[in-house]
Order: sequence, then C-alpha cells, then structure tokens
Amino acid sequence: MNKSRLIGARGAGALACVLLLRAAAAAGPPAAAAAPPAPPLPAVPAVQLPSQAEIDAQLRSAQKQLEEAAHEVARLSTQFSGSVMEEFMPLLAAHVVIGVQLEPVPGNRGARVREVSPGGPAAQAGIRSGDVIVAVNGTELKGDAPARQVSSLLHDVKPDTPVSLRVERDGKPLALTVTVRGAPDLLARLPRVQDFGLEGHEPFIQRSLRDMELASLTPGLGSYFGADKGVLVLRAPADGALQLQDGDVILAIDGRSPESGSHAARILGSYLGGEKITLRILRQHKTLDLEMTMPETTHQRDVHRREVVLPQVDPHVTRLAPQRSPALA
Amino acid sequence: MSDLNSRSAELAKLLRSLPQEAAAPYGYQEFERRAHERARHARGLAGGERLAAACVLGAVLLAVLVRLGAPGGAARLPATGAAALVRTAPGPEDETLPPHAGLAERWLASLPEEPAIVHVGTRAAVLGLEDRIAQIDDLLGAAGDNGDALARLATLRQERARLVGTLVQVRYAEVLADGSL
Repeated sequence: MNKSRLIGARGAGALACVLLLRAAAAAGPPAAAAAPPAPPLPAVPAVQLPSQAEIDAQLRSAQKQLEEAAHEVARLSTQFSGSVMEEFMPLLAAHVVIGVQLEPVPGNRGARVREVSPGGPAAQAGIRSGDVIVAVNGTELKGDAPARQVSSLLHDVKPDTPVSLRVERDGKPLALTVTVRGAPDLLARLPRVQDFGLEGHEPFIQRSLRDMELASLTPGLGSYFGADKGVLVLRAPADGALQLQDGDVILAIDGRSPESGSHAARILGSYLGGEKITLRILRQHKTLDLEMTMPETTHQRDVHRREVVLPQVDPHVTRLAPQRSPALA
Repeated sequence: MSDLNSRSAELAKLLRSLPQEAAAPYGYQEFERRAHERARHARGLAGGERLAAACVLGAVLLAVLVRLGAPGGAARLPATGAAALVRTAPGPEDETLPPHAGLAERWLASLPEEPAIVHVGTRAAVLGLEDRIAQIDDLLGAAGDNGDALARLATLRQERARLVGTLVQVRYAEVLADGSL
C-alpha cells in the first residue's frame, strides 16, 4: 500500500516537472528574445577533399621521405662510429669481416662465439652464439688470442671469398662456410679526402640509384621472363640511370651474377661515379649488354680504401677492369 | 438482424474463452528478488572488469620492466630458432648497454633476410650498417684478446649497441615501405 502511494507521488512529481519544463520552453529565454539578431556568418568556401589518387600520391611521397630519412640516419650513425673505431683498427689484420665476437675457451683449443652480428656473414652462414670455432680454412686455432689469430688467418682473404670453418656445437662437429665481406671504410673522413676536392663520401650507394626497386627472381617469375637467374627490376631509376627499364632482368653486373636484390644493391653500391659499368640484361626475352658510366656525384665513397689505402683489395665484388673516376684522375 | 445477433454471440463466445485476467508475470517480491540478483550479477561483472584491468596493468608493468631492463630479464627468455643468434651469456660489461639491446637483436633476427621488394637505397643502408656492426664485433674479439681495459671495450660495446639501434630504425622503415607489417 505504501509502495503504491510512493509510486503515485513520484508520478505526480514527474508530471509536474514535465509541465514546468514545457511552460518554460513556450515562454522562451527572456534575455535571448531581447538581444539583436546575430550577424550572419561569413560564407565558408567549400572544402575540397583530396581524391584517393592524391592521398595515394601523398602517401608515396611520405614513404619516400621516410626512406630518405632512414638512409640519412644510417649515414650519420655510420659516420659517427668511424671516429670511435679508428683507434682499435690496428688490432685487425684482415681487410674482411666475418661478424662474430670471439673469446678464448678453457684449454685454448678454439674460440667461443660470444656474439653474432645481425645480418653479418657469420649469421648468414648459420653460426650461433655458443659455437666453438676450432679451425679456419683447415688451420686449427690455438692459444689465448683466438680472435687475433682468426684475423691473421683472414689477412690474405679477399672479400666475397668462402671461408671454411670447423665448428663444435653442443660438443658435435659441424662444417660451415662463411662468405666474408670487405671491411667498411673508416678513412674517408680523414683530411686526405678533401685533397681530392670531395665534400665527403656518398654513403652506401649512388643517390640516383636509390629509388630503384628490385626483386629476386623466383622460379615462377624466371619462367615467365625466360631466365633461370638474375634480379627483376620492378622500378627502374627515375632519372634513367643505368638505362634500365621496368621489367628488365639483370643477369650480370660486369660479369658478376646477382643472386638477390641485396646482392645487386651491394654490387652496385661498390661503384664510384664516373666508373664504367656493363650490365647484361634480359628485356622482352632478348639479352642486351648495356655499357654506361655511373652517374657522377659530388660525394665519392670509399676513396681511400680503393685508391689510397688498400689498392689491392676490392671491397665487395670482383669487377672486370674497374676504371678510375675522372674526379680522381 | 439475425446476422448481427449471430456475430454478437460468436464474439461473446470468443470473449468467454479468454482467461479471466492476464496473470502478472511476478509480484513485487519476485521483482525485488530479481533486482537483487541483477545487482549482484552486475557487481560480479564489475569485479571481473577490475580483475581484467588489474591483469592488463600487470602485463603493462611487466613489459615496462622488461623494456627498462629488469636485471637479466631479456637474457632469461628462451633462445629458439632464429632468436638463438642472440647472446645467451651476457658478460659483465653489458651493464653499460641499453637494456633493450637484446630485444632489438631478437626483432632483427625474426625478420626475413631481405624484403620481397628491395628498395635499393634503404637496402644499401641496411647492408652498410650490418657490415659496420660486423666490423665492430670482429674488433671486440681482437680487443678482448689484446687485454684492453674494460672501459675501452665498453666504449666499443656501446657503439655497437647504438649501431644496432640505428639498424632497427632503418629496418623498420624498410619493412614499412615493403608493406609487410
């Protein structure tokens, strides 16, 4: 009974509230009624929304900027590390890198791999941290300085040369082959670079080649293009560098067959502006030899390694008859 | 008229067949009991949400701790497959390194060797960084053999960690451009 009374009272209260609100709304706001009408808003021009094509173009542009920024970060970071490493360089006898941190093992019979460089030659060969390298190219490692011994054993080894390693992993013997790489140049920052009238060194690869896109040739792609090896050019350099066209298959660069897009980038990155280069390509099922000169640049990389410091050692590739850049002649 | 009567009779018959009164689904007491039940259920749900929130918070805290380098946190993770490339026995000098260095290398090891579409400029930068890191690693071994002081070795290690950080940035840009993220 009490509950029904309570409900009735609440209903009456709610009804009263509704009536009051309606009355207030009918009367309208007194102040607003007295105020003069607001001036009309200025006409807003119609907003032109970008089309999908424009957004796509902007997105591509932003991605290009991101890549350029990443390249610049890599350049500066690498340049910075040069000064830190210079004082240690005399410790290395080899002109190639293998990409492992080694430490002695008890009994001085080998070298334990403490670290493996990400993406380095040893990592690509399947070497793992904890492995014990017991021999390099058939020579056993002995003594309490195995890392320096390895460096000495690699002294005369040229870049891109396979090196056989005898390894113990979990006590079991294992034979691995590492393809060593040329040691990056540390000396381009020295004043002698300025003697050549160069502003610095172009890092990694010629600017005109940076927008090129490549893909490794899979068996399916290979049968479509009529090649069983090579690298497919998805996007040729925009400025016509290397005379390449979209859809070309690069079969060889100065006689060297690229095995992947990375490999092709590494080979192309080893050329200076002004050097002659011959590309063997497949274009519309026809094999062509393109002879050209690498585009000139104000930045020439690896000057000391090539021309002054290590004239005998080719950093990455074995090239046929490399020519001096006119800038150095 | 007779038609109207017959319709009325039919209608009356239908009305009589209806139940006397639609029974209320339940009385006030039942309403009160069910209301209590709903409130209790709602409290239970709220407790579950609190529990879930606590779990999420705990997971975030754990991630932050790992990222900020809870001692040995990164090293305790199991090294399997490609991640086995990463160090498993950190040395004493590693206290000078950024705590996320191990995580960065794990992420790098999880990536394919090269993207499906190679953007030559970015790839060349990646290769250059990898070569430089490999050179530092070779140097670190030789410097250790040479009996160099820990402080000097620490400088090289820090430089290596910095380059690995740069490599992560460039690789990330490369992966983004490839559209494989």
